Amino acid sequence: MAYDLIVRGGRIVDGSGLPSYVADVGVKDGKIAEVGRLKESAARTLDANGLAVAPGFIDHHTHLDAQMLWDPYGTCEPQHGVTTVVMGNCGLALAPIKNGDEDAIVKSFVRVEAIPRHALEQGVKWNWHSYGEYLDNFEGKVGINVGGLVGHIAVRHNVMGEDAVERKAAGAEVQKMRGLVLEAMEGGALGMSTNRNERHMREDGKPVASRLADDEELFALCDVLGERNAGAIETILGRNKIEHFEFYHELARRTQRPVLWQSLQHRWVEPNLWREQLAAVEPIFKAGYQAYGLSHTVPLVRHFTLKDCQVFDEFPVWKNLMFLPVEVRRQALADPATRAKLRADLADPRPTNFHRRWDILKVEKTARPENQKYNDKSIEELGKLRHQDPLDAFLDLSLEEDLNTIFWNANNGGDWKAMGEILRSPYVLVGTSDAGAHVQFGADFGYGTILLGLWVRERQVMSLEQAVHKLTFHIASIFGLQDRGLLRPGYAADMAIFDPNTVGAHEPEWANDYPAGSKRLVQRADGMHYTVVNGQVIHQDGRMTGDLPGQVLRGPLYRRQRAAA
Amino acid sequence: MGVSYIPVARAGELTPGGMKEVDLGGRPVLLAFVEGKYFAFSRQCPHEEADLKSAGQLLGGGKIRCNNHSYCYDLASGECTLPRGAAPLTVLPAEERGEEICIRLEW
Repeated sequence: MAYDLIVRGGRIVDGSGLPSYVADVGVKDGKIAEVGRLKESAARTLDANGLAVAPGFIDHHTHLDAQMLWDPYGTCEPQHGVTTVVMGNCGLALAPIKNGDEDAIVKSFVRVEAIPRHALEQGVKWNWHSYGEYLDNFEGKVGINVGGLVGHIAVRHNVMGEDAVERKAAGAEVQKMRGLVLEAMEGGALGMSTNRNERHMREDGKPVASRLADDEELFALCDVLGERNAGAIETILGRNKIEHFEFYHELARRTQRPVLWQSLQHRWVEPNLWREQLAAVEPIFKAGYQAYGLSHTVPLVRHFTLKDCQVFDEFPVWKNLMFLPVEVRRQALADPATRAKLRADLADPRPTNFHRRWDILKVEKTARPENQKYNDKSIEELGKLRHQDPLDAFLDLSLEEDLNTIFWNANNGGDWKAMGEILRSPYVLVGTSDAGAHVQFGADFGYGTILLGLWVRERQVMSLEQAVHKLTFHIASIFGLQDRGLLRPGYAADMAIFDPNTVGAHEPEWANDYPAGSKRLVQRADGMHYTVVNGQVIHQDGRMTGDLPGQVLRGPLYRRQRAAA
Repeated sequence: MGVSYIPVARAGELTPGGMKEVDLGGRPVLLAFVEGKYFAFSRQCPHEEADLKSAGQLLGGGKIRCNNHSYCYDLASGECTLPRGAAPLTVLPAEERGEEICIRLEW
């Protein structure tokens, strides 16, 4: 056989952002051997007629450090076309570790990333010390490719013990930390992550260790990457305001490494902040440095009825109504005097999370057939259709339907035009899946399938080619992932093969597949037919094949050392 | 417009530091008895929706900490005190009326 695998007749969206075209992909020895019209045979052929064939997606913002130890696929990543994950974000990694520091790391993961303690206690065996040894655990045992960032929190505990959560580091301690960062990079880390978010605490209420680091320490550690021209610097500093961008500029300037900051989102309560952030970051790139903002594709949506509604809890009269018995609530909502109070409540100018905009809140699903014409209309549009004030239209429709009308609201990510500009920006990295974290509170494995389904197909904010580029080569380039992210001969045969007409993500649902019987939220996909890792199909139409062709993707310092040896 | 007092517990039913689950208009609420005062609040932490029945820890000074991420809330105002400025906890006024503890809802 000329090839191990041929993917026939698909539309090649090659990750470069260039226009797609129809061709076959021939795979040999885990790599793409040829792209074009292939007449030869293969041990296995996948019919991709009508489907898009893209490089496998790279989820660069995960907390799968622990989950990958017991779940070789990092489910549900492959179901959404992800073939490579980057662990160790937000300062949190499971290495380097010395005996006795394990619980300090667990305390941080449990609280910051909301991973159940009993799952970590049962699922993490701690049979490593260095970052390289930690990565060794995955060799030959994973279905998708894994890489990771060395976490500032583990580095600090390794040098300072419990003092890491109490005080600044002394000069000698910083030097030791620099040594650990270098050792981790030489062991294969893709970069370093740090965390200064003032909301991030350990299980015992103490700040995570990296929050105690001053600028001098942080710069000294990041300088290790700058001095060796290797790796990305991922940050969560709780610094989203414009005045903070000088810090990112300085970090990017002195290291000349890609700096990642969190985060850039459209929020209705600060509707122009994202634009100001992009304007603030542009001079950094213009000066020749890199400071990418991370952004999400998943709107923060709430579906509600006036039988069960928390959307208005910031407004006292609304809030009290929503706790009344339903029959009393119904009467109150119909009362003109109460409506006047509801109107005045919303008009109070104090800042709130709710945007108070009737052009954003919309009717998702009416309860009565005769009202179906209102589905998908904003409340503002509803008012015009019914010749009513929006608030009256909102309440009257709901009352007519016995409070069963389902409404839709998005405080974040709901402005299509803004989201389009954010997602298209070359200064924005798409994806904050947080996979492996907050496992009982959400599941955003589908940020890529949502990008392709919601933002490309339905809202047409960017082309399919642009979106695939954002999910693949853009990420591979920033993290220095060699031979990944493009469908070109010589590149690894990582592929996501999907139907652009149906691709999308389901709402999260519960599963009981974590260690110690812990439950978590998972997320299925639509339209993702095959996921191929290093030339082997690991996922087909929602089912995993059981093959484990994933590789440990080690960073440039490791590769340079190997090449020199 | 009106005021409704919804009885949710009998006086003496809750021991100091105790909490009781109640349903108000279909929404889950917790009633807590802390330092001689009653507090009523949404059972759901506004940060990541943890169940405060299991994750909530009552603190001195009329506060509660959600042990999921150590967010702390003032039970009287709902204000998030740690970290400051995060989304507030939904709180409701609770008061003793004779032999009953009632939630006062005014609209």
